[in-house]
Amino acid sequence: MLQNMIDSSMKKSPWIFHINAGSCNGCDIELVSVLTPRYDAERYGFKLCGSPRQADIVVVSGPVTMQSRERLRRTLAQVPEPFCVVSLGSCPRSGNVFKGSYAIDGPLEKYVHVDVSVAGCTPKPEAIIAGLAQAAQLLEEKRKEARK
Amino acid sequence: MTNVLLYAVHLFLFPGLLFIVVMGLLLAGIDRKLVARMQNRVGASILQPWYDFLKCCGKETIIPRHARKGLFLGAPVACFVILISAALFIPVFGGLSMSFEGDVVVILYLLTAAGVAIIVGSAASGSPFAGVGLSREMVAMISYELPFVLVLLAVGALCGQDSAYGVTFSMDEIVRWQTENGSSLLHPAMIPAAIAMLFVIPCEIGMHPFDIAEAETEISEGTLTEYSGAPLGVFKLCHCVKMYVMTALFCALFLGGLSTGILLVDALLEVVFCIIVTFLCMTVPHAICARFKVEQVFKFYWTFVSALALISLLLVWIMR
Amino acid sequence: MSEFISNFPILAIMSLFLGAFITSLLGRKNAVVRNVIVFISMALALIMMLALIKPVFIEGKVIGYWLGNWAPVADWAIGIGLEVDALSLFFGLIITVAVFVSGTYSFTYMSHDDSLVNYYTLFLMLSGSVLGLVLSGDLFNMFVMIEIMTFTAVALTAFRNTYEGALEGALKYLVVGALGSSSVLIGTALIYSQLHTLNLAQITALLTNDQNIVTGIAFAFLFIGFGTKAFLFPFHPLAADAHAVAPASISLMISGVLTKCGVYGIIRLVYCLYQNIDRPFVQYLVTAFGAVSMFICVTMAFNQHNFKRLLAFHSISQVGYVITAVGLGTSLGLASGLYHAMNHTIFKGLLFLTAGAVQHMTGSLDLDELGGLSKKMPRTCILFLIGAASISGLPPFNGFGSKWMIYQAAFEKSSQTGNVFFLVVCVTALITSVLTLASFVKVAQSVFFGQLNPKFENTKEVPLAMRIPMWILAILCIVTGIFPGSVANKLLMPAVNAATNTRAYVSAMMGEAYAAAHQVVHAGAADVQLIGVYSPMSWMLLLLSITSAVCLVAVLGSPEKKKLEPVVGANVPNGPMTPGSIPVTSQSREADERELITDDLDPKYESFFSGEHAEYSQVGGSDLFWGFKKNWRHYFSFMHEWHSGILNDYALYGACSLALTLLLCVLFL
Repeated sequence: MLQNMIDSSMKKSPWIFHINAGSCNGCDIELVSVLTPRYDAERYGFKLCGSPRQADIVVVSGPVTMQSRERLRRTLAQVPEPFCVVSLGSCPRSGNVFKGSYAIDGPLEKYVHVDVSVAGCTPKPEAIIAGLAQAAQLLEEKRKEARK
Repeated sequence: MTNVLLYAVHLFLFPGLLFIVVMGLLLAGIDRKLVARMQNRVGASILQPWYDFLKCCGKETIIPRHARKGLFLGAPVACFVILISAALFIPVFGGLSMSFEGDVVVILYLLTAAGVAIIVGSAASGSPFAGVGLSREMVAMISYELPFVLVLLAVGALCGQDSAYGVTFSMDEIVRWQTENGSSLLHPAMIPAAIAMLFVIPCEIGMHPFDIAEAETEISEGTLTEYSGAPLGVFKLCHCVKMYVMTALFCALFLGGLSTGILLVDALLEVVFCIIVTFLCMTVPHAICARFKVEQVFKFYWTFVSALALISLLLVWIMR
Repeated sequence: MSEFISNFPILAIMSLFLGAFITSLLGRKNAVVRNVIVFISMALALIMMLALIKPVFIEGKVIGYWLGNWAPVADWAIGIGLEVDALSLFFGLIITVAVFVSGTYSFTYMSHDDSLVNYYTLFLMLSGSVLGLVLSGDLFNMFVMIEIMTFTAVALTAFRNTYEGALEGALKYLVVGALGSSSVLIGTALIYSQLHTLNLAQITALLTNDQNIVTGIAFAFLFIGFGTKAFLFPFHPLAADAHAVAPASISLMISGVLTKCGVYGIIRLVYCLYQNIDRPFVQYLVTAFGAVSMFICVTMAFNQHNFKRLLAFHSISQVGYVITAVGLGTSLGLASGLYHAMNHTIFKGLLFLTAGAVQHMTGSLDLDELGGLSKKMPRTCILFLIGAASISGLPPFNGFGSKWMIYQAAFEKSSQTGNVFFLVVCVTALITSVLTLASFVKVAQSVFFGQLNPKFENTKEVPLAMRIPMWILAILCIVTGIFPGSVANKLLMPAVNAATNTRAYVSAMMGEAYAAAHQVVHAGAADVQLIGVYSPMSWMLLLLSITSAVCLVAVLGSPEKKKLEPVVGANVPNGPMTPGSIPVTSQSREADERELITDDLDPKYESFFSGEHAEYSQVGGSDLFWGFKKNWRHYFSFMHEWHSGILNDYALYGACSLALTLLLCVLFL
């Protein structure tokens, strides 16, 4: 029973860690706006945390520049299981306008399995919330799977 | 046999472990909800701290390479245990506690020891962020300790004025005096001390405007940087329990002696007063203040808050 | 048997002094012979002190011994006497235990040094002189012992004279120490000129009803003289300089034993010789010296970069606690002072020994340089934490018990007298305790925790022979902390009674009739009532039961962890896995292997550096607590200028404080 309770609280308390992999800061601002009184993602239990060790959902924005590549890889490795990766905006998926640049080593998929991808440049806060909620659902499933 | 059973019930159920944890989680949840409502948000559910704790228990625990394993894992448990035993010395309305003579100093030191447990744990994690965090935690501790001590002395001097030594360090004594003479909050000399105590509480707990040690955006959660999984959950739980300990301490020091004699009513009263105190000293500053700087915290507590507590102490001295 | 046992005090002193001479005669050739001689003489002294427990503590006797059987003739004590009451024995026990621990520690710790025969000879002479001082029944003998003590301590401070600042520290100690010794000598001379005797018991009897301005001046000289030996403010900079360079075993002696002589001297002076502790002036004087030392030294300790310098300042700060408590003049105050004096020797000794262990294995004491040693020296780390928790007054260790008694005594005093001064003292004591904690957090973080400096990659744990003495002290820390009630009843109360019951002290040496003739006050047994009976056992049980409950819950919850573990294990890259069934990170793993640098260390277990590659970055000593320091910057810069490090200045401060005390004593005593 305790295990089931833990499973179900997985999706109720997802803490977000945000990695900026060379983003233009547009998506970052939108992500913060999600937590403001207007959109209030906290009502689903979302919370921004400051360390990857405490994260459940890792939100990556930006097209993965050469500079941020290793930092991204290292930070992702430090997140405890189970966790979800959400790509924020078009950049991490496709490189967006930066595609083909010598400074870009994307897409994000190359480094980590992306669970949820929120498209847009920049995505709307509603879309971000929807994506995060989906990731939260995935967290519970992942844990259930891990228990089996 | 019945004595042992009663003792076990006291220890683990009613004023003990279960009650304390439930109260702590409840207060934390209510605080979060109230902050959200004050910011015109819906906010997380009242059960959110409970979910957070459970979720943390379900996560993997990573022990960093630089960490000293035993201390790293032992610190959260030590912190929790110390806090629970501190809570047991604080009387619920009607004086239900494991109180003994001179327990006020013990409570003071147990709270310090709980802070030290956090410091030792974060030091053992070997992270430089935690290093910064622990130094801030320590500065916060130095900051609130002076006014806290003065408040305790003021209450002790007021409630112990009839005793042979002119002062008491016993929770039972403090509650008994208040039962006979009315709550100490009604005593005019105690009002500055009560205000000072209301400021001490959030800093002792590390609530928002004073959470310099766990500043998540500045220093990556500071003391908790390397913590993950169940130990993190226990630390979060400690945070909640601390909320109960401090608010209950406030109730015992300033609102004691309101007992009705009926256990259930007393427990309910306790809950209500704890929530009011939580609202006053934690929710309001949380909702309206941005985080203080380290040196600001220190200055604020050693000047303004200490002065308030000192005024109280001197008033008691003069008026008796 | 009782006849024979009265020889024990002199035999204990002689065994140490004889050991010193035999060591220098026979110990040159063979290290084993030398160590055996040293060990035997230390153990003999310890055993004899322990044997005195029964008659003195339990039966409440005062043992007097006249050297050469020069008993007083016609009520004039010409001969040299030893007098052992419970107070003397209390300090004697502290000293012999500390000497024993320090000596056994030295065997391994000093093994890298040259000319060890000189070291052990001086060491045993130091021990013997200190023991002689507290057992002596003769004021001039006390002076002689102080002189031997000062000079051997100076020589031992400079023993490692290749160290930077060793000779400087020794010189400062020598000059200012000589100031203290000569002031004791002047005080002794003045008393002799007035009373024509040097025997403590006889002085006590004569001073009971006959104090004039000259004895008042003598009091000031003696007080400052003993204060110098306890390194009270303003003599504290010496201690810092001496401790920083002395070998750790000698630091233990200086802080744990030498300062106790000063404390003993002051207690003897105010409670016994002059019996003037009831006068408010004396209370203010003693308490103010104690409280100022306590506070200034703890703030000074905040800024230190050297492990042992920091400990040295704390040492004075703790002695300040003792003196403060002693100066309160109540029996609770004296009891708490004695308790803290004992605890101070134990935990400060432990801390100095851990500092010595760190120095022994790494060769460094610099707080900005060390770090992360808990991985390399885990046992030393635990020992250090025990010591640090004790000195910071965390329950259940011994520092808590004694500090708690001190607060209580100070507050009780203030509310009985309605005096705000003692209230300030009480609050100062509490604040000092927090600052002590803070600076030990600093030491813990910058020496044992945090990241390991690559320089000290090859550090090893200290050998067992050095850990055993440390464990002895650590166990004493815990035992005296858990059973404060028994300590108070068995050790403290006899000592307190002995200190206040001057009648018994006088009659033991000079005869009952003499004491009665001089109307020496007969104090009854001291009545110490603790406001709270601090009984850690009951809530240790509480802690234990809660811990077991928490552990039980943890065990019940553990199956879930075991199930998670295979998933964690699967993340470690060992060959390709089929896509689809693999957990998330293994893909990132593969990607790593494919094109990124191959790191033989898994980044998962690295410290979080905002994504950067983990590198050596230690938040060390002086970087901590800037939020506190910034607010106090004016105070600290004043202190910085004030502790100039110039010997002339320190001598001047000493002279000034002597002059001030003289003036005050002439005016008010």
